[in-house]
Amino acid sequence: MNTMRQAMVDTSDWGCDMCGRDLAKRGLQGGPSRRGFLKGGALALVGTSVIPGFLLRSVMAEATTAAANNKRLVVLFQRGAADGLNIVVPFQEKNYYSMRPSIAIKQQDVLDLNGFFGLHPSLAAFKPLYDQGHLAIIHAAGSLDSSRSHFDAQDYMESGTPGVKSTQDGWLNRALLNGPAPDGPDGKPSAFRAVALGTQVPRTLQGKLPAIAVSNLADFSVGGKGPQTSSISNAFQAMYDESSDAVLHGTGQETFEAVKMLKAADPAKYAPAAGVNYPNGPFGNSLKQIAQLMKANLGVEAAFSDIGGWDTHQNQGAATGQLANRLTEFANGIAAFWKDMEDDAENITLVTMSEFGRTARQNGTGGTDHGHANVMFVLGSRVKGGKVYGKWPGLDNSQLNEGRDLAVTTDFRRVLGEVAYKTLGAKNLDAVFPGSQVTPSEFLNFV
Amino acid sequence: MKASRLRQFERSQDSLLQCGRAALAGTLCALLVSQPLSAEVSKPAPVVKLQEVQGQQRVLHVLNRLTFGPRPGDVAAVQAMGLNKWFEQQLNPAAIRDSVLDAKLAEYPAMNLPLAELQRKFPGPQQIRAMLDGKAQMQMPTDPVMRAMVEDQKEFYKLQQKAQAANAAKTTPSDAGKMSGQEMTPAAGSQMAAPDASVDPTAPATAVTGPMREEARKLMEMAPEDRFRAIMALSPNQLQRLRPAAGPGLTAGFTPEQKEILIALPGSVRMIALESMESRLMRDIYSERQLEAVMTDFWLNHFNVYVRKNQNEAYLLPSYERDTIRPNALGNFETLLVATAKSPAMLEYLDNFRSVGPDSLQATRIKRAKQINPNAKQLQQASAGLNENYGRELMELHTLGVNGGYTQADVTQVAKVFTGWGLERPLQGSDYLFDERRHEPGSKTVLGKTIPEGGEKEGLEVLHMLATSSATAHFISTKLAIRFVSDTPPAALVDRMAASFLKSNGDIKTVLRTMFHSPEFWSTEAYRAKVKTPEEFVISAVRASGAAVDNPQPLVQALEKLGMPLYGMQTPNGYSWTQEGWLSTGALVSRMNFALVLSASRFPGVRVDWAQTVNSSLTATPVSYSPAATVDAASAKEKRLEDVLLGQAVSERTRATVISQSIDTNVTEQAMTQFDLTPDGGKTGPRYLPKDPQGRNNATADPDDAQAAVMAGLLLGSPEFQRR
Repeated sequence: MNTMRQAMVDTSDWGCDMCGRDLAKRGLQGGPSRRGFLKGGALALVGTSVIPGFLLRSVMAEATTAAANNKRLVVLFQRGAADGLNIVVPFQEKNYYSMRPSIAIKQQDVLDLNGFFGLHPSLAAFKPLYDQGHLAIIHAAGSLDSSRSHFDAQDYMESGTPGVKSTQDGWLNRALLNGPAPDGPDGKPSAFRAVALGTQVPRTLQGKLPAIAVSNLADFSVGGKGPQTSSISNAFQAMYDESSDAVLHGTGQETFEAVKMLKAADPAKYAPAAGVNYPNGPFGNSLKQIAQLMKANLGVEAAFSDIGGWDTHQNQGAATGQLANRLTEFANGIAAFWKDMEDDAENITLVTMSEFGRTARQNGTGGTDHGHANVMFVLGSRVKGGKVYGKWPGLDNSQLNEGRDLAVTTDFRRVLGEVAYKTLGAKNLDAVFPGSQVTPSEFLNFV
Repeated sequence: MKASRLRQFERSQDSLLQCGRAALAGTLCALLVSQPLSAEVSKPAPVVKLQEVQGQQRVLHVLNRLTFGPRPGDVAAVQAMGLNKWFEQQLNPAAIRDSVLDAKLAEYPAMNLPLAELQRKFPGPQQIRAMLDGKAQMQMPTDPVMRAMVEDQKEFYKLQQKAQAANAAKTTPSDAGKMSGQEMTPAAGSQMAAPDASVDPTAPATAVTGPMREEARKLMEMAPEDRFRAIMALSPNQLQRLRPAAGPGLTAGFTPEQKEILIALPGSVRMIALESMESRLMRDIYSERQLEAVMTDFWLNHFNVYVRKNQNEAYLLPSYERDTIRPNALGNFETLLVATAKSPAMLEYLDNFRSVGPDSLQATRIKRAKQINPNAKQLQQASAGLNENYGRELMELHTLGVNGGYTQADVTQVAKVFTGWGLERPLQGSDYLFDERRHEPGSKTVLGKTIPEGGEKEGLEVLHMLATSSATAHFISTKLAIRFVSDTPPAALVDRMAASFLKSNGDIKTVLRTMFHSPEFWSTEAYRAKVKTPEEFVISAVRASGAAVDNPQPLVQALEKLGMPLYGMQTPNGYSWTQEGWLSTGALVSRMNFALVLSASRFPGVRVDWAQTVNSSLTATPVSYSPAATVDAASAKEKRLEDVLLGQAVSERTRATVISQSIDTNVTEQAMTQFDLTPDGGKTGPRYLPKDPQGRNNATADPDDAQAAVMAGLLLGSPEFQRR
């Protein structure tokens, strides 16, 4: 046991490198060939009169976006501090079991990843993605700031500047600003370039680049659902267009631009692909709508959604129970999204985070209190998945942060930085994460 | 770093103590605490001369900030009374008659019940489950109606259990692991919830078979008393099928109590949650004690609790609002803080009732019992340790603020102080009880101060320390200034309010007076500088239009759609008072649609009589209310609407647009379908037995109103109305 942990600590990553990543398995999914065929086929059809409208539009979009990278980033925030130690379980850690007598995930229950870590059984939907090499895991990641306040820690993670309260904008907004400008059909960036599912633009997406918040695509229309904008919508537009109120004028313009685009694209017709079932609830619904927006080719580059209910101070359960239920919804939602995107999944990278982890020991009420390091997931076709990245700090009492939590060995900005750099092409990392000193040489190279 | 913060805290403690001995150190305090209106004490800080709003705008400003928005005629009435007099009157709400509201609230008798009585009359899932499990501690009610209700709930509970079991059987975790395709049934995630997990108390039960239209028709012909008895005799299955068939007349003639019982039949939690939200909205819309309502809302958000925390939290909301928050909303901060600390709603929301001192009698007993019988299931679940949740949020969110100078060690110590602060019968609607056996023995050290061992007194001492800290004074003052003055309130104003807070030992009225009499409050920069939150937008629109609200349920749902459901903020920080986030693209779309639907009286149970509203202004001469054939006539009507709804002129462009659009009255039909309040587009009919028979299907047919409605819809959705 001791030597084993020694080995863990000494290597910069661990586990079997090719675990689940063998090409045979990936080939079994049939991805490349099917995708290649469809794309070629669609292009070949240009010019004939029988092309369905949506296909034509998608082909046109691909043609006009030219060299601009066609990659899209989906960012998911688990609000409330998810219990990373029960999500990707270090089941070889003896102390894990002694610190969590009634909430630990038993070794026979975990979905073994590499002989040391295992997924919580409710993450069954993640296992095939991991095995196919699409899903990478970064453990013991988090913020170097020691705050155990949900609000501070979320704020820091979303602004991308731990410890600095004065940051006005979010990291994702800055990443988009620093990436290559997309050339939309008329040279203008799409109103849907940065979109958040929900009623508010989250901190992550706030900033100079206009971001849009939509909770329900079907309702995103003023005074009528038809394909044309209603006259009352035009009337409102006229009011906001000429308003001297800078804030409302700006928001108004973005609103009507987005309404128009959405009407033209009509994402309602993009039903989930055959056999895809999103879990009931706001999270599944958000992911479904992100898929719709992306399939409708509205120029989405970054999409954000969140899922709450992770603040398991009491009675969090083990293989079943409160946390298990949240994880089922979480994993099934993401897996459904991945499947739903079908061929488009090729261009998508998805990353998850939570403000901090939870205490290594269970508390007196069958739950866990606010801790430190956590686990992040990165999903994508170009992701070198099937592997747990990062440096494992260990769970011996002496190895715990402040004697109580999993220590942080990977600054979350190294993960997000790599994603921003490689997916969005944001090469100026100092602008995206000011003061972080994250450089490409520090990337974990999971993409 | 930590040390310096601590020293800073000690220093502020010192100055605090000095202020506490006001009689002795009066002069010192007077220097520290500047009284804004007296010229001589404002000397130390150079006062920048601010441009102040003038004339009628002052009245409008006050009504926009200290109320949920002016109603038609309010500006004139307050002007006649005088602003200072009005303000002082608002500070003493008990002296203000509130008969209109009282009549509205008579529809919600359950909201007046004491906690235990509410729980007894409307047993929740916990009790139903206990009865089904044979652990029926609870007596079956002797009253036949109550008995029927309990039986019904039991049946509904069993039906739900069956449905859940059926769903769960389809996808057990092990099955799911084997399926590579991952096709979980959509319901699995949400329905396999543990007893304590988040539940949706407003989710409707699903219908079993077709609606009972014939039975519904027959019922409608009965006299109210007979009809009520007949409905009570229906089986749960029949009731479910009756619901979609139920027309407006089904509850006609029923007493409010009978209506409540009917709504509670499929599940009490939903009825209580809905009534908590509806009665809160009614108060905000109708109360003459507007400042009290606004401050109650402020504190409910500051001491946030969440209706879906567990299946019991909804039961705790009526008394939380009624007994904990509202009586103290304009009172003393420490009293309010202690009340929240002891409130069942907060004790459950932040888990403190579960927290047990690690060395307490109870923990020791459990440890011993575990040694004897390590596998006893009950022992595994028994609480035997600390829960830090309340200790942390108490300091971070309720008092000191996040930079208030406390450490993780303080959090743990405070958590220990509050062990034993619990509930008589947890999760069963019982009151606060301090349990010495759960309390951590020994003295504690909080923020560098030793709290000697003293049971419940330790907690009171810590609350006193926190309530009178200068960090708290500053934190609360900042929040108030953000709510009432601007998103970025001037530091000088906040400092003055904080000084008032300390000097008055946390008297909320005094702090508000300081604010009200500050030049910053009246500055032209502050005028209309605040963007309305969704809640402020909805309530102010209803008030401005003079709408008659018989059924606030659609408004409750509208708030959910606009992203600000009442009691719906899951995290303890509450909703933001600043514009960031509230002014997104999607939000604006929803606001415009809301304005159109409200103006056209298309929310069931919310009626606007535009002719009356437009002509109710005290000062103006009535305008002709015939259909405006000419542009001039339309223009006159529009002008009056501007005056009533906004109290001031809109931009030329807004006006021109409103007038030209008002010719086309079909537009609201479209908006109606847009702001659709039922998740399935209304296909399954009403979700609940209608509470208000008159309130439904009341589309306006009057063409005069239709024109005014379009104009008003545009005005309420205009950029101008989004600010206050």
